[in-house]
Amino acid sequence: MIASGVVATTDVVEACTGVNIAVMVGGFPRKEGMERKDVMSKNVAIYKSQASALEKHAAANCKVLVVANPANTNALILKEFAPSIPEKNISCLTRLDHNRALGQISERLNVPVSDVKNVIIWGNHSSTQYPDVNHATVKTPAGEKPVRVLVANDEWLNGEFITTVQQRGAAIIKARKLSSALSAASSACDHIRDWVLGTPEGTWVSMGVYSDGSYNVPAGLIYSFPVTCCNGQWTIVQGLPIDELSRKKLDLTAEELSEEKALAYSCLS
Amino acid sequence: MVSVDRSLFVFNTLALFRSYRLFQISLSLSLSTMAKEPVRVLVTGAAGQIGYALVPMIARGVMLGADQPVILHMLDIPPAAEALNGVKMELVDAAFPLLKGVVATTDAIEACTGVNIAVMVGGFPRKEGMERKDVMSKNVAIYKSQASALEKHAAANCKVLVVANPANTNALILKEFAPSIPEKNITCLTRLDHNRALGQVSERLNVPVSDVKNVIIWGNHSSTQYPDVNHATVTTSAGEKPVRQLVADDEWLHGDFISTVQQRGAAIIKARKLSSALSAASSACDHIRDWVLGTPEGTWVSMGVYSDGSYNVPAGLIYSFPVTCCNGDWTIVQGLAIDDLSRKKLDLTAEELTEEKALAYSCLT
Repeated sequence: MIASGVVATTDVVEACTGVNIAVMVGGFPRKEGMERKDVMSKNVAIYKSQASALEKHAAANCKVLVVANPANTNALILKEFAPSIPEKNISCLTRLDHNRALGQISERLNVPVSDVKNVIIWGNHSSTQYPDVNHATVKTPAGEKPVRVLVANDEWLNGEFITTVQQRGAAIIKARKLSSALSAASSACDHIRDWVLGTPEGTWVSMGVYSDGSYNVPAGLIYSFPVTCCNGQWTIVQGLPIDELSRKKLDLTAEELSEEKALAYSCLS
Repeated sequence: MVSVDRSLFVFNTLALFRSYRLFQISLSLSLSTMAKEPVRVLVTGAAGQIGYALVPMIARGVMLGADQPVILHMLDIPPAAEALNGVKMELVDAAFPLLKGVVATTDAIEACTGVNIAVMVGGFPRKEGMERKDVMSKNVAIYKSQASALEKHAAANCKVLVVANPANTNALILKEFAPSIPEKNITCLTRLDHNRALGQVSERLNVPVSDVKNVIIWGNHSSTQYPDVNHATVTTSAGEKPVRQLVADDEWLHGDFISTVQQRGAAIIKARKLSSALSAASSACDHIRDWVLGTPEGTWVSMGVYSDGSYNVPAGLIYSFPVTCCNGDWTIVQGLAIDDLSRKKLDLTAEELTEEKALAYSCLT
């Protein structure tokens, strides 16, 4: 019975029944003393089981956003164990990192964050992510200008800017004694809203999606790419030049994801 | 010759007129697409639970509308400075398009400077073993001091919403010590209770809450509040029907319904082991939004406002009344019939507020 517009339950079947959008925040957090393999093992079990429930009970064409870490690999496990959910419907959150990158640029340039766009987060939602501003722009009275030109400090853009964005989660924990909730929740809304309602003209966003081999990223990983969205579908932005520095970083984060994938699969056997 | 001159004249005049019209059109277009000036919103106690829920709502446009840029001012006490900075960092990280600036500070003056709206969430919470007088004493000191800072530094016509308990009396103290802030600009939150009442009716009748309206919360944001459904209605396919009629259970409406709403705060604490933050923040947004943007036609809401003696409620208290809002001002809904049972409850909560006022003043001497 749908008495109110809220179903609160500990029963995963009841929870998944008829859902059009699924935001998977639940997962096993890493505790002090736990090995990566232990965390991975716990989460693989969770996402395998929830994949099954979603596949059987969610509405057709349900869109899935995995937030819980390790987000990319949890999403991959979910995909593997929900084969009837279209692979394009399974994504993970890197919009938080994307928004963090926009925020850092806006603070550096002292401009409203709404004037900054088209950063890219490549790869894993982890410390190997690559925040790339090579195609990012800022709206100025004289039109859109490249971030790299306006910042005029490659050392910062290739160094501190990248590490700040990569390690922002830890900085928030240090200040709040709790991990990012407000900004994670807000970014999850942005991710779904743009996916469902479309990205603005001339703007792309970052989403962790099932790789098709674009940009020489191995296929079969959930990898963060620049995407535009229209009619409820995302499309990877193609043809962006990738310089040598970027190439190395794209490959590094892909390697980590391949290792995570292997670790996850070893937990299953 | 003359005719050519005349036609040239006409042509030139028409051209001038056309270009002036184009100028007018483009000016009005650019004005309509031009962003509004940002509104400065202060949240005190911003590093706490309610603040954490409230600031992203404000930054998202829930409080003032999706087209209203905002600048957030966040104030908390020095022990919370690092946590407060963490909140500021997260606001930057969320890349809210409407958020044009964040001031995070432990300095009341910096916090209050230029603010158009002040949501006072900060206060001294009651701890185990504390007497009412002790809690009152701490909060009176806080609200006296913040009244002063607001009065001196806020923008003209700043709208104030007091959330921290005891909300009505904190608001009264604030009013007393900020005499240059118009008394109509100082309010306290009873919209949470109002929304809770709507929710209880909607659950009872199994209807969407958006179809329920015009409950009233009278009096103090405390357990003496009076949730009154005598004028509440539900939108049905056959038009608007009285709640009392549809519920058809006066025992429930006079009993469980009232105590459920009165004690809901405690029920939330019991379930969450933390007090209501999500719903308090959301209701604070509703309170401000309706105050600034106006209440919908045919609908009133509940706000704790400075009593003018309406409904035989003593003047000079901050008391929750049914109000409509228009052009940034609230007006008490007059002429509603008050039955005997309701009269008693209106008076009971007024008595409590009068006692609190006396207690608060005794803390000042």
